[in-house]
Amino acid sequence: MKNEIKIITKNWGQINPRRIEEYISAGGYVALKKFIEKMTPQSAVEEIKISGLCGRGGAGFSTGVKLESVQKEPASSADGEKYFICNLDESEPGTYKDRSIVDNDPHLLLEGIIISSLIIGAKKTFIYINGNYRKQAEILGQAVEQAREKKFIGEKILNSKYNLDIEIFSGAGAYICGEETALINSIEGNRGEPKMRPPFPTQCGLFGRPTAVNNAETIANIPWIILNGGKAYAKIGSKKSPGTKLFIINGAVKNPCVAEVPLGVKLEDLIEKYAGGMQEGKEFWFAQVGGSSGRLVLQKDLKMKMEYDRDGKIPLGSGAILVVDKTMDIHELLLSWASFFRRESCGKCAPCREGTFRLYEIAQRLKDGEISERDKTALEDILWTLRNTSFCPLGKFAATAFSDAIEKLKLLQKYE
Amino acid sequence: MTTEKILLNFDPKMKNLLPALKKISACFGYVDENAAQKVADYFFVPLSKVFETASFYDLIKTKKQPSLIIQVCSGANCAVESAYKIIREIENHLHIKAGDEFNPNVKLEIISCLGQCGSGPVMIVNGNVFTRVMASNVVGILQGYL
Repeated sequence: MKNEIKIITKNWGQINPRRIEEYISAGGYVALKKFIEKMTPQSAVEEIKISGLCGRGGAGFSTGVKLESVQKEPASSADGEKYFICNLDESEPGTYKDRSIVDNDPHLLLEGIIISSLIIGAKKTFIYINGNYRKQAEILGQAVEQAREKKFIGEKILNSKYNLDIEIFSGAGAYICGEETALINSIEGNRGEPKMRPPFPTQCGLFGRPTAVNNAETIANIPWIILNGGKAYAKIGSKKSPGTKLFIINGAVKNPCVAEVPLGVKLEDLIEKYAGGMQEGKEFWFAQVGGSSGRLVLQKDLKMKMEYDRDGKIPLGSGAILVVDKTMDIHELLLSWASFFRRESCGKCAPCREGTFRLYEIAQRLKDGEISERDKTALEDILWTLRNTSFCPLGKFAATAFSDAIEKLKLLQKYE
Repeated sequence: MTTEKILLNFDPKMKNLLPALKKISACFGYVDENAAQKVADYFFVPLSKVFETASFYDLIKTKKQPSLIIQVCSGANCAVESAYKIIREIENHLHIKAGDEFNPNVKLEIISCLGQCGSGPVMIVNGNVFTRVMASNVVGILQGYL
């Protein structure tokens, strides 16, 4: 496809991800030099705010606003420490965009991390990587070493006043640690349970210091914004949420792929143009947008625009799209969703701990064809409770796909 | 390798508690009470705190593990690629049930996403990852470990 705008994937397949020299000769670390020589942290944060970049992890919160609030936070603690954390704890089923970034262009991510850390005034940065991504942790470790040799990390970066140390922290297999407060708890050596907000991590985060936690894909956009300016970025994609997004398209399509596409693209086009349409002889049933915590989209809604929008009906989530065809046994999918959330519920709050467990039991009975009247009323009750009373979004997510399956696919009707 | 030697690689700071526990679990298969006490002393925290953290994470075990551990991902993408067929195949072949801990020698676990969704279904046998597994070659894979 011509006239494609590529921000994150521009070097994919073009350079050797293991060699910093190739990244530099492809125009790498120029943004870092520009930031250090010509910009102040204040002007850089202004550019990011103008760009309209929002969090790519799923919540879609404005990145500029988040970085600015940590930047402005007075360093009240004794050591004046602030932290930056790159959230690479990608464990949403169907999502491997951050892994692909590390596999193909780790230095782009690293450059973004360095710039973001310097913007907020952090001297110590953690990259929290999924514990199962062993190879990726090794690639990043090597990238950090190479960057240190070139003086992009360490004391007096490129002979400026900036100092920064980066540490890779490997998780231990918990989905909930992708939630920022749980992630912070995990680095502090606690159980990875989410914390009450406020205080927000931007005020009181890791070890009680102001902390910015940003998704890896979000950070990978920052070098481009610093180089080309916020205004240029704001022109890409949709008005509500500018920029490009990595979509991971899987399931019953011809070419499952990770594609970088400007936001605002129609779901239909993603499936037809980028993933090559449906496989031979398979008929579209529904698509799940945003991994296992995402909502279901039927044929009639395929024209919807993919963008981060607070009032939007279908949240984008991580950008994972699972296309399901009519031969799929829906009960297996229900069981897959329910067992995933039952396993990953952290157990802090009762609605989620008990709700996900009961949901799993009912999903099992559904699969065995033994669902009772009592189950059907209980199901509604459990889903409502999960949606409205759980402590963190995990509980709500557990109910999302299940409710959609019941409403949109009219799942329970055949039992009536 | 001893627990003490592993611990010496870490500063006794709280941010190193999880990495240290992970390392011990990977080295000895699990964190036993003896090792946990040493960790508690080294990090200067109560024993309960060590188990509180250790018991939360999937990659840290607090019980002795069977010699054969089979894990199958049942994430939505793997489920679409008929992961449940593979689970049934293993259950039938080894006469065990997923999630049960009755057999001291072998365990079948259903696990969450590993980020290999492009090449599902994913199956792990004693740490070795197999992708694009088909029900017909499950027995062949298991043969190498029995």
